[in-house]
Amino acid sequence: MKDKNHYLPEMATINEVIQETHNIMTFRVTFNDPQVMENFTFQPGQVGQLSSFGTGEATFVINSPPTRKDYLQFSVMRTGEVTSKLHSLSEGDQIGVRAPLGNFFPYEDMKGKDIVFIGGGIGMAPLRPLMLYMLDNRKDYGKITLLYGARSPVDMAFNYELQSWLEREDLETHLTIDAKYEGWQHTVGLIPNVLLDIAPSSENCVAVTCGPPIMIKFTLQALEKLGFKDEQIVTTLEKRMKCGVGICGRCNIGSSYVCMDGPVFTAAQLKELPNEL
Amino acid sequence: MGNPRSESNKGDQVKFQEELKDNIRKALPELDVVIGWCGSFDPLHATPHFMRREEDIDKLEISPLSVHNLATYLPGLRGKKVGIVVKGCDSRSVVELLQENLINREDITIFGFPCTGVVDQSKIKKALGGHTGNIEFCDMSESVIVIKSEDKAYTLPMAEMLADKCSSCRYPDAVISDYFAGEKIGNKGEEDADYAAVETFENLSVPERFGYWLKEFDRCIRCYACRNACPLCVCRDHCAAESRDPHWLSQENNVRDKLMFQVIHAYHLAGRCTECGECQRACPVDIPVLMFKQKMNKEIRDTFQYEAGVDPEATPPLLSFKMKEENITEKVW
Amino acid sequence: MDPVKYLKSADLMSWLEELARENKVFAPRYEGDAVIFAPFDPKQEISIKHAATMPPKKTVFPQSEKLVDFTYSKDPENLSRILIEAKEILPKGTTVVFGSRPCDVRGFTMFDRVYLAEKTTDVYYKARRENTSFITLACEKPETTCFCHWVDSSPSDASGSDVLATPIEDGYVLEPFSEKGQKLLTSSLLENGERWILEVKDVHENAAGFLANAPDLSQAPQKLLDVFDNMEFWENAAAKCLSCGACTYLCPSCYCFNITDETTGMKGTRFRSWDNCMSAQFTMEASGHNPRPTKAHRLKNRVGHKFSYYPAIHDGVISCCGCGRCIKSCPVGIDIREIVQEAINHEPAIGKE
Repeated sequence: MKDKNHYLPEMATINEVIQETHNIMTFRVTFNDPQVMENFTFQPGQVGQLSSFGTGEATFVINSPPTRKDYLQFSVMRTGEVTSKLHSLSEGDQIGVRAPLGNFFPYEDMKGKDIVFIGGGIGMAPLRPLMLYMLDNRKDYGKITLLYGARSPVDMAFNYELQSWLEREDLETHLTIDAKYEGWQHTVGLIPNVLLDIAPSSENCVAVTCGPPIMIKFTLQALEKLGFKDEQIVTTLEKRMKCGVGICGRCNIGSSYVCMDGPVFTAAQLKELPNEL
Repeated sequence: MGNPRSESNKGDQVKFQEELKDNIRKALPELDVVIGWCGSFDPLHATPHFMRREEDIDKLEISPLSVHNLATYLPGLRGKKVGIVVKGCDSRSVVELLQENLINREDITIFGFPCTGVVDQSKIKKALGGHTGNIEFCDMSESVIVIKSEDKAYTLPMAEMLADKCSSCRYPDAVISDYFAGEKIGNKGEEDADYAAVETFENLSVPERFGYWLKEFDRCIRCYACRNACPLCVCRDHCAAESRDPHWLSQENNVRDKLMFQVIHAYHLAGRCTECGECQRACPVDIPVLMFKQKMNKEIRDTFQYEAGVDPEATPPLLSFKMKEENITEKVW
Repeated sequence: MDPVKYLKSADLMSWLEELARENKVFAPRYEGDAVIFAPFDPKQEISIKHAATMPPKKTVFPQSEKLVDFTYSKDPENLSRILIEAKEILPKGTTVVFGSRPCDVRGFTMFDRVYLAEKTTDVYYKARRENTSFITLACEKPETTCFCHWVDSSPSDASGSDVLATPIEDGYVLEPFSEKGQKLLTSSLLENGERWILEVKDVHENAAGFLANAPDLSQAPQKLLDVFDNMEFWENAAAKCLSCGACTYLCPSCYCFNITDETTGMKGTRFRSWDNCMSAQFTMEASGHNPRPTKAHRLKNRVGHKFSYYPAIHDGVISCCGCGRCIKSCPVGIDIREIVQEAINHEPAIGKE
């Protein structure tokens, strides 16, 4: 049997581009080969490498849920060479996709439990597929709470669906920004503090969080105060990656490769790893 | 080195080494670290030695194996109180770093000694028939190196084993120091630098010269030891060699990119390089990369009558300009 | 296996010429003052007396190789649309490497566990690995920097090799160790070598005899994790490190790489090239965050990977073949043996931690 070439991207077309914030763009893409699109399966939390040929590749979470397969969605924050190039693309442009890569959120183990999502900035993107997946399989889960924070309203991605999230009765949504902003009708305050105010019960609950390192640090402390055990906290990591299949050697933390053994880890698993985030 | 000293001076070496250790003992309590050399994996090699505690000083060894230019470590230790043992040539790198404000004079304590030259490991390897993997014994005096390798004894004339830079050395004593152990040999900075090898190479035809580099760089592995061993390559974590923005070099395995890096390196060092030769010594595949910098320095000497790393107060010529340069003729339009 | 063969020293070049008719043959030769594996050229002398400066790593894992070629073109139906075609470039042809050393080739067995892993097989590596044969020379005398005996190997270890050649008086005894190896030993220049088998054993034993007792490294994986957070330990170990890539690029078992794109006009190539964990850029993230910001963090990763993280997920196998090139060719003489031993012997300060 011929081995799969893991380095050869599948060609895809950008069908829709959404300017989320001044530095975040969302791309909705479909594979050019309908057969590939048809057979493509993935799990919430898995990532893909997007290729801009001539510039390179970068890793992003597939932030559309596997339950909604019209397209694959990736949100890209402009930080370096590849992301800048991706930001110059528009509808109809071709990109390469290597996906799915990595592990995924343990959504089976979360069944029957309450879930608290805590997303900071672009860190909302990896939470989105899991949250939408759970909403699409609503009866399998208990109370679902979302706390989504950004620096300011203009830094808040997924604006177009926030209202529908707020309106859902089966989802408790809290939006927060770091500092006062004219016209903002939701909470003002740093995510860890707001989390303490909301004070979700840790009883039979799993917290899923992603965001910048400093936010994660204090959010973990807040969760601990609320009685969450390390096993009840799930996060997803970001590292510089090249191959995406555990070979090239740059995303390892000790013996664990974020591209293969991650990006999703529980706080308990992270504590077992050497301290090199 | 051009200073003939007698065999009996080996005793001197031991003496100044003890004096040097005393100097370091005196200064160490005020310093975070003093960098010198000590023995390494075989009797023919030394290795940089970072002395933090008094007992570390006992291991210090000065010999013709003290090849490393320890000034390379200084910019990375900025903010710390650092003592550094320097050969004459190394001290010029310290001066150049001072000239460029890359280190602070008050943070650096310089320990000088009279250097009679360091060996070129490639020359020894050749003299031993291409193999220095099994050195059992090595002893050095002013005039000879005695080596025992694979049950065979070799007595090699020191003068022939010295690095090229040492055979034409004009600065055997540190040009700047806070402590100087031993008796100064006497610097001869007024003598002209020796660029005979560069001149010979310049006289070759373009295809000959280019052919030479094509062959030499074919084996370059792009490890950048040449860059990282250079005391004056101070932007190494942000180097054009690996940068994508600007994107000057590709990661293809071709001589064009490898040569391009050497050209960038040499241009950045024009009038700054003190020709310590660390780039060439560090190269794991023995590519003679020092010649690029010597060529640039020769041009700098001819154009600006300037020599890098001699005067801490001087401004390197390419870090400043004159409204009317003496040796650069303006193009007449 | 077929019987062992014997090759007269005088016939070596002719044999290599024969092999070069159907394969690309690499053999070590002097390039400047360095001994490099280069395409065999009957007009140039080969240098096999001692281990080469560079291992033949590039024969299976090139310094830089093409992964994908891509071309841009305008969509004839919609001229504002750019179409992209991406094509894989798989390596072709067979290669024979002569004059590798046991440690050099054993390095590939460490690659194999990673590059030939069932679900993530690297098709480029696999193609080269399967089509490259190694005729390895048993070492007669280890060098000062050799420590293959520390890492479960020996001067006559044939793991990863297809033929083990043992130098005896006036010739070589050639033992096949794989099917590929057997196929290489069909030349009429070779005679039956059975009668030399005792001499071969002598050479192997004699070489092994030079290597003194090896330290016990069984504690290394855990001990290295124990000192993971002890940055003082790593800062001392890395104080003289220059952060260059000489150790990794000369290492037969270092396998990290980079992937970069290059374009000219409407065409381009995605390259894979050697990369090394000693470099500051290696783990540098676009945000500016670097999980291994100093040379101490980076040296820790190199030593840790070889003696702790890799063994932890690969049946205890240490990812170091003991060739000693990282010691011998380090511009500042960093000795990985010392660092590993210091970690093993490190006693955590009482009251601390």
